[in-house]
Amino acid sequence: MENNDAIAAARRRALAEALRSGEPVVVTATGEVEKREDAEMQGLAGIQVPDGKLA
Amino acid sequence: MAYYWYQSDPQLYQMEVAAMRKFFPSFTIDQLQDGSGRLYWRGKVQPTGEGGMVWDIMLLYKNTHPKVLSTSEYGGTVQILPLSPRLKDIADRMMPLVMETYGTYDNAVAHGFGLGLPHIYRDNFGRQEEYFICTADPKYFKGDKTQSTSAASALSWACKWIILCEMWLNGEISDDLAMEGNY
Repeated sequence: MENNDAIAAARRRALAEALRSGEPVVVTATGEVEKREDAEMQGLAGIQVPDGKLA
Repeated sequence: MAYYWYQSDPQLYQMEVAAMRKFFPSFTIDQLQDGSGRLYWRGKVQPTGEGGMVWDIMLLYKNTHPKVLSTSEYGGTVQILPLSPRLKDIADRMMPLVMETYGTYDNAVAHGFGLGLPHIYRDNFGRQEEYFICTADPKYFKGDKTQSTSAASALSWACKWIILCEMWLNGEISDDLAMEGNY
């Protein structure tokens, strides 16, 4: 359980950094957020999150 | 007479359905049974993947879709309501901590935490008030009197918000970063 939490936290950090630095990020069919290059490497398609800050 | 947007603009309706079927095929569309005629999508997402939280989400079209009538319509004409976890429940649990941090309610409001969570707003839903996810900052949002974001785009924004929210709830990012960071 703790291991799962740590993995999820590490993923969140990596994604937050990608979002902060303006790297393209996609959302896959299950709602999983992935860096576009990671998704492409895994053969996953997804919708690109539009640019811009949250309100 | 065509009264609702999906009756008066069946092509837009078809485009909305096609986008959701393409990007989020597990989501299903239905109509609220409250006499409002509003359409909604419902389904589950897990933005941080395996081990992360599963969010049961409702995407509700306003009957004005796709016309954004004011800049205060954060995220345009598709409202995002998490059913589980319920934002109001999370916000109620966080509010004491927010008050401890900011001292007064006015100060919490001034820092964007008046509702207990970053980037949310409240609105009536049925007979009760619910908390919804704010998506795009109006500066970046391109909706106007003729167009708005699609449900699929709104859901992609929501997944980004969820990551940010989960980080904030876990103490992984500060209040300032949650509110003002470049997310």
